Amino acid sequence: MTGARPPARPDGATPLLAARDVVKSFGPTPALRGASLAVAAGEIVAVMGPSGSGKSTLLHCLAGILTPDRGEVWFGARRLDTMGEAERSALRRERFGFVFQSGQLVPELTAEENVALPLLLGGVRRSAALEEARAWFERLDLKGLEARRSGELSGGQAQRVALARALVGRPQVVFADEPTGSLDSLSGEHVMELLVAASREQGTTVVLVTHDARVAAYAEREVVVRDGTVTALLDQAAPDRAARS
Amino acid sequence: MTRLGLRLTLASGREAIIRLVAIAAAVALGVGVLLVSLAGINAVEAQSTRTAWLNTSRQNLRPGGGEATADPLWAKGNLDQYGTSVIQRVDVAATGPRSPVPPGIPQLPGPGQFYASPALSRLLRSAPRAQLADRYPGRQVGTIADIALASPDSLVIIVGHSPAELAQDPSAGQIRSFETAAQGAPGDPHPGRMQLILAVVAGALLIPVLIFIGAATRLSAARREQRFAAMRLVGATPRQVSVIAAVEATVATAVGVVAGFAVFFGLRSVLATVPFTGQPFFPADLSLRWTNVALVALGVPVIAALAARLALRRVQISPLGVTRRVTPPNPKAWRAVPLLAGIAELAYFVGRKPAGTTAQIRAYGAGFGLAMVGLVVAGPWLTMLGSRLMARRARRPATLIAGRRLADNPRAAFRAVSGLIVALFISSAALGIITTMLDYRTASTGGAAGRDILAQPFGDRERITPDGHRIPGGVTVPDTLLAQLDAIPGVRAVAAIHADPSAPSGPAIGPTEGPPTGLIACADLARIPALGRCQAGAAVAAIPWVGMDEGITSHAQATVRVWPAAPVPAEELASLPVAALDVGTDGSRGAIEGARTALEAAFPDRDIPATLGDISADNAQLIEGWRQLADVAIIASLVIAACSLAVSVAGGLIDRKRPFSLLRLTGTPLGVLRRVVALEAALPLLVVAAAAAGTGLLAAHLFLRAQLDESLRPPGSGYYLAVVAGLGLALGIIAATLPLLRRITGPETARNE
Repeated sequence: MTGARPPARPDGATPLLAARDVVKSFGPTPALRGASLAVAAGEIVAVMGPSGSGKSTLLHCLAGILTPDRGEVWFGARRLDTMGEAERSALRRERFGFVFQSGQLVPELTAEENVALPLLLGGVRRSAALEEARAWFERLDLKGLEARRSGELSGGQAQRVALARALVGRPQVVFADEPTGSLDSLSGEHVMELLVAASREQGTTVVLVTHDARVAAYAEREVVVRDGTVTALLDQAAPDRAARS
Repeated sequence: MTRLGLRLTLASGREAIIRLVAIAAAVALGVGVLLVSLAGINAVEAQSTRTAWLNTSRQNLRPGGGEATADPLWAKGNLDQYGTSVIQRVDVAATGPRSPVPPGIPQLPGPGQFYASPALSRLLRSAPRAQLADRYPGRQVGTIADIALASPDSLVIIVGHSPAELAQDPSAGQIRSFETAAQGAPGDPHPGRMQLILAVVAGALLIPVLIFIGAATRLSAARREQRFAAMRLVGATPRQVSVIAAVEATVATAVGVVAGFAVFFGLRSVLATVPFTGQPFFPADLSLRWTNVALVALGVPVIAALAARLALRRVQISPLGVTRRVTPPNPKAWRAVPLLAGIAELAYFVGRKPAGTTAQIRAYGAGFGLAMVGLVVAGPWLTMLGSRLMARRARRPATLIAGRRLADNPRAAFRAVSGLIVALFISSAALGIITTMLDYRTASTGGAAGRDILAQPFGDRERITPDGHRIPGGVTVPDTLLAQLDAIPGVRAVAAIHADPSAPSGPAIGPTEGPPTGLIACADLARIPALGRCQAGAAVAAIPWVGMDEGITSHAQATVRVWPAAPVPAEELASLPVAALDVGTDGSRGAIEGARTALEAAFPDRDIPATLGDISADNAQLIEGWRQLADVAIIASLVIAACSLAVSVAGGLIDRKRPFSLLRLTGTPLGVLRRVVALEAALPLLVVAAAAAGTGLLAAHLFLRAQLDESLRPPGSGYYLAVVAGLGLALGIIAATLPLLRRITGPETARNE
């Protein structure tokens, strides 16, 4: 089933991001077998599931990193699955932000240069980009770490720098793939609190992939991917969600 | 452990095989260059040994056999010219059946016979007879075999005479054997210049080649180190890991060495035709001695194993993973001191030229050596300064990332190109000096006077050479010869310079000092305007002999070519002996060679007539050889440095796979990452090339100012072409690594890492 419009959410609203019957295989191994998901603007959605279930593949398809073998992926009124690589790259650069588990900072650059990188790529002048980047250091409790390299930061600090880098361009969507996977629980909570707060403040949509229920609890809605399909929607179910939000 | 190392190297799947092939290919290239350099030195030695007979004297270093019982042989060696080619002419006359026979011919030519080398035989057949063949009376009875020739292109002739004929020739001497010791053999006071040059070139190439081989064996070190960490986790000791690394490096290098030998022998016949030293080699000359083979076959794998071991010492491989040792402290400014000291030392001698050759060699050698070593020492510091400046000024992300990475570890960035410094410094300095000396010589040919006038010097009085030969003074020129010369197309005038009766009398001992002056009729001088003119109203002028090097130089340097009047009546001139004959031509080959042939045939016992260009042709040929070798060294060192860079770029890419692939994933255009990689490689290459070439030329300038009071002339277009071609090739090689970027930073990398 395909269409010229993005699939509507169950509540009838037009989603900012949507996947419809997405199928993706890697060689003989199927990763997604008809996954569908719709995410509203400003929403924070957690994608959960066991290892190998296809949750990261779903995130990569939604972000235009991978193109599905079948099915549709929509960003607003535009179809990502039919776009060329250059167009998708531009979209990722200009509209999306990314936080990964680790190793995403350019080791040669200082923390502030890492944060300023998306702005520099967008053609912003260096002094202006660095000024903008520095503003995030205070917001993310990173004051004083501007001149450090990634090797001189703790795991939690490096993730917060990565978070600042994902948010500095004021993206419409932040994709976070196991953003706390390499952190201890305290640092993980700190990162998640900052991510949620900053997204709310900017009205940014967040798609969060995790297998950790405590991390997923920061989201407004949880979906579960199992065997390549979205099998369950856990909406507003977590007991402490209301308190956190 | 060795067996496990072998298994890991040969049977660990596709990635291991690709790594093996890549290292082997890099080593093969390096080994190929090494073998060509070594074979080149051997080839020049072989040439020198084969042509030792042409340096025969009465006191041979290593005489041929049978000297005690041999009949004397009258012999005379001379350098003849045809166009810009030098012909080695040997005149011989046997006094008995046991007179020594030069190599390459079955027996001595009799009177009226000659043997010629294959190339000269072809030239004799193709050139007009009156321009060449008439110089050699008689008929060709055979061809000189390759064993007596330097090169397939050598022009050599052995002309037979009767003993009575050569006995009257003051330049001829009696010998009982031919020299068999090569130039540069122990005891030779004149070391083989070309061997020395080749040894310097080989040395200059050796360092970049070894750096390249070392870099190749460290290819994908990060991946290997991760595997070693996994082995440490299951209980392998650091020593065992070290053995496995050494086995891996040695196996890959051994495969590369074998391939390098195959490449060398496969391309040997093609390489022999390249005139690296000004003349092509015989293919068999490019051979290797067993010591060369052993040195390369054993030395290179040992170096590779050591490089692998050294690389492992730079990282701490623990069971929990790989950690780089602390980044070494930044290079300090003191590193510039040796370079500045070398330049200052060379500058000190400007205006204070050391007295004596030994003092000069010490002074300039120390200055050049210090500057070269200083460049290598200062390199990391200069790289750091340059890259910091680049990062500080960067407006684009690619420049920022590349600048930061280079500034982070300037030693590593510099290491890949450090070999280039030695080769480029030596080549640039040598070429700067050569070009200036060549320019100086060309300028001193005095334009038309040096180019178009063929001069035959006879001398104005009897001369006694240091070994006791008496060379008679002026001659009487037969009218038939003058008529013959006048009839040659392109010959414009013939002027005789007569001996000056007021010059000191008695035989001159040894070479004359300064340009001797003769007398010329102003009517004759007016027919060859390039020689200058007489003072108004004069009938006879005093003029240096044209044809002697100093004479032409005097002409060239004279700002006003007005020769002073001589107090000798014109009618008396005809009765004075002729000290030199100047033939004014239109500069065409036909006119010059026709006149030379006529003069040689008329005066076989005199010096070969020459223009100044001819006089310096032999040196020019040697200098041309230098120049070609320097060009080869420039291109080869740039290409090798680029290969080292390409390997380190590839290694750096593999090491930074994850951050780069994540950057790409977040939308960073591939072009930005390409620019990062290209800048990281090209910047050190270009900066180091400019620094090495600039310092080389500066050192050459200071040397020329100090030693010759000359300023550096810009190197010729060949130098710039070689540098541009080398840099172009180098950048092409670096560009060849860029497709790797697309492949290793694809989304699957970020997913799988």
